[in-house]
Amino acid sequence: MTLTQFFQNVLNGLSIGSVYAIFALGYTLVFSILGIINFAHGSVFTLGAYFTYMLTGLAVGFNGILATTRLPFALPFILALLVGSGLAGLVGVLIERLAFRPLRKRGSDRLLSLVSSLGVAVVIVNLIQYLVGAEAYSYRSDPFGLGQPTVNFGTPERPIPVRSVQLVIFAVSVVILIVLTLIINRTRLGKALQAVAEDTVTARLLGINTDRLILFTFFVSGFLGGMAGTLVATSQSITGPYFGIAFGLKGLAVIVLGGLGNIPGAVVGGFVIGLAEAFVPSQYVAYKEAVAFALLFIILLIRPQGLLGRVQVQKV
Amino acid sequence: MTDFFNTYGNLMVLMVFNAMLGLSLYLPLMAGQLSLASPGFYALGGYIGAVFSTKVFQSSDGAFPVSYVLLEMLVGGLASGVLAIVVGIPALRLRGIYLALATIAFVEILRVLSLNLTITGGAIGIFGIPQPFNRPLKYLYIAGPLLLFSMFFMYRLERIRAGRALTAIREDELAAGAMGINPTYYKVLAFTLGAILAGMVGALSAHFLNTWNARQGTFDASITYLTFALIGGSRTFVGPVVGAMLLTALPELLRFLGGIDQLPQSVRDLFLNGRLIIFGLLIVLGTIFFPQGIITPRLWERRRRTKAVRPAESNL
Repeated sequence: MTLTQFFQNVLNGLSIGSVYAIFALGYTLVFSILGIINFAHGSVFTLGAYFTYMLTGLAVGFNGILATTRLPFALPFILALLVGSGLAGLVGVLIERLAFRPLRKRGSDRLLSLVSSLGVAVVIVNLIQYLVGAEAYSYRSDPFGLGQPTVNFGTPERPIPVRSVQLVIFAVSVVILIVLTLIINRTRLGKALQAVAEDTVTARLLGINTDRLILFTFFVSGFLGGMAGTLVATSQSITGPYFGIAFGLKGLAVIVLGGLGNIPGAVVGGFVIGLAEAFVPSQYVAYKEAVAFALLFIILLIRPQGLLGRVQVQKV
Repeated sequence: MTDFFNTYGNLMVLMVFNAMLGLSLYLPLMAGQLSLASPGFYALGGYIGAVFSTKVFQSSDGAFPVSYVLLEMLVGGLASGVLAIVVGIPALRLRGIYLALATIAFVEILRVLSLNLTITGGAIGIFGIPQPFNRPLKYLYIAGPLLLFSMFFMYRLERIRAGRALTAIREDELAAGAMGINPTYYKVLAFTLGAILAGMVGALSAHFLNTWNARQGTFDASITYLTFALIGGSRTFVGPVVGAMLLTALPELLRFLGGIDQLPQSVRDLFLNGRLIIFGLLIVLGTIFFPQGIITPRLWERRRRTKAVRPAESNL
């Protein structure tokens, strides 16, 4: 491997790793508070990408019952990204109210909320197909208005070209990560979030409105998922209603790698898997999809608490 | 009547297959272990059947011999069983959500492997798998007895030491261990039995479907089998069987409802094209309103109790 390839791999790995990180944070925030995995997160990722597509004023394809409709307005891409992610956040809130809260109030088995979130994922994926069809959708070319397709990190004689959209994805993700870290560590809301994550009952006794906080968590989780969906879609395209399934599964590998419910862990895990995938040699590129799951399997066998996780004392 | 069997022959065979796949997921669930690995073993069995019948046994003219199919099922079951022991011994140290995630990773790794190996036909898969029967319905000659045998096996299992040990582990693993039950042994046993069943069904299913590719063992299938067990009921083996049959027939039922002329067009359209949306909604509603599933032991418990009480009293 030449030095050029090495730098390219590092930059590409950081770029996709940062998207893994913000997506996986959506899983891990919910897990840290409720101790459950929201399997509908991958479908929220898909929805976010579609929302942004619609908000930029592009028309729906010819299949599905919404065929060829378009919104009467068109937002600039950055605004559409934020509003689309916000809508995905609202879907997250809806999922909590319809699929998680009823089960929680009945004190049901946690495995059941896993199943109901899978049910929600089935509904969302097929609703998308029903409404806008199964074809692939692409944003307008160069959605961020960058002008040039690649940026050269090397010298003119020895170029190290990196796709500029990857750099924007990295930048946006890092900004989101910083904002989220500040919210969690510096605001009252974030402190309350940490308290609920530590012990829900005690937090409620101390006067924290846990139900509202859970809603807030689902909003943030959905927002992050939708944002990740749009960012990934800018570098490829929306491949159809199943766009988020593979990413959703990979996100699971990320959070397990970092430690379930561990917020810095999700970020570390995202970058580790992003870099590991970027360094798969080109002749084995077909096996790239298996890297995250192989890591997941290995980490579960040798260190189930994850890279940054604490060992949980088993209670009788 | 012949028309009925011709139209619904495929469906009936699928219902029987799925009932067995539901049982395969239910076996580890008896010990409280949420394993989503069944589709992986189902895919493995299918590939064994497909490779044997297209490459090893060069079939002469006429129908493929049934004895070869049975042999393939045997090999498929054994191979799945061996793989289950190898994977199960390390993986079943994990509990709850961790085991579920490890088995998701296992299924995904197998899927990526089958997409890339030459023996499995890569992304195209294996097609032109020879048919042992001239009509789909005749697959019931093999699948029917296998299902009945599995159900009888489960009926007996729930009443002998091994089955009670699994229930004890489900209720409280530590207490079961303290009673002298070796949890790892019984968990691996249940996991392996489930894998053998899935592998056998896979080998038969390869003939039934005529083609076999990487789409046969996916995360979607894991969800579907889990839904069979949880909607049907996870406290008795009757649950997954009934759940699998009902849920497999449901899309056909919706198709039938969509054909009723008196209904408004939009509703018919939803029944015809949005069947999976309804499927997903039923999963969510099922977990909320039938947390125990449709079939619970309580349905027949009362009758048994009146019989059982008297001998117990006479012992006092």
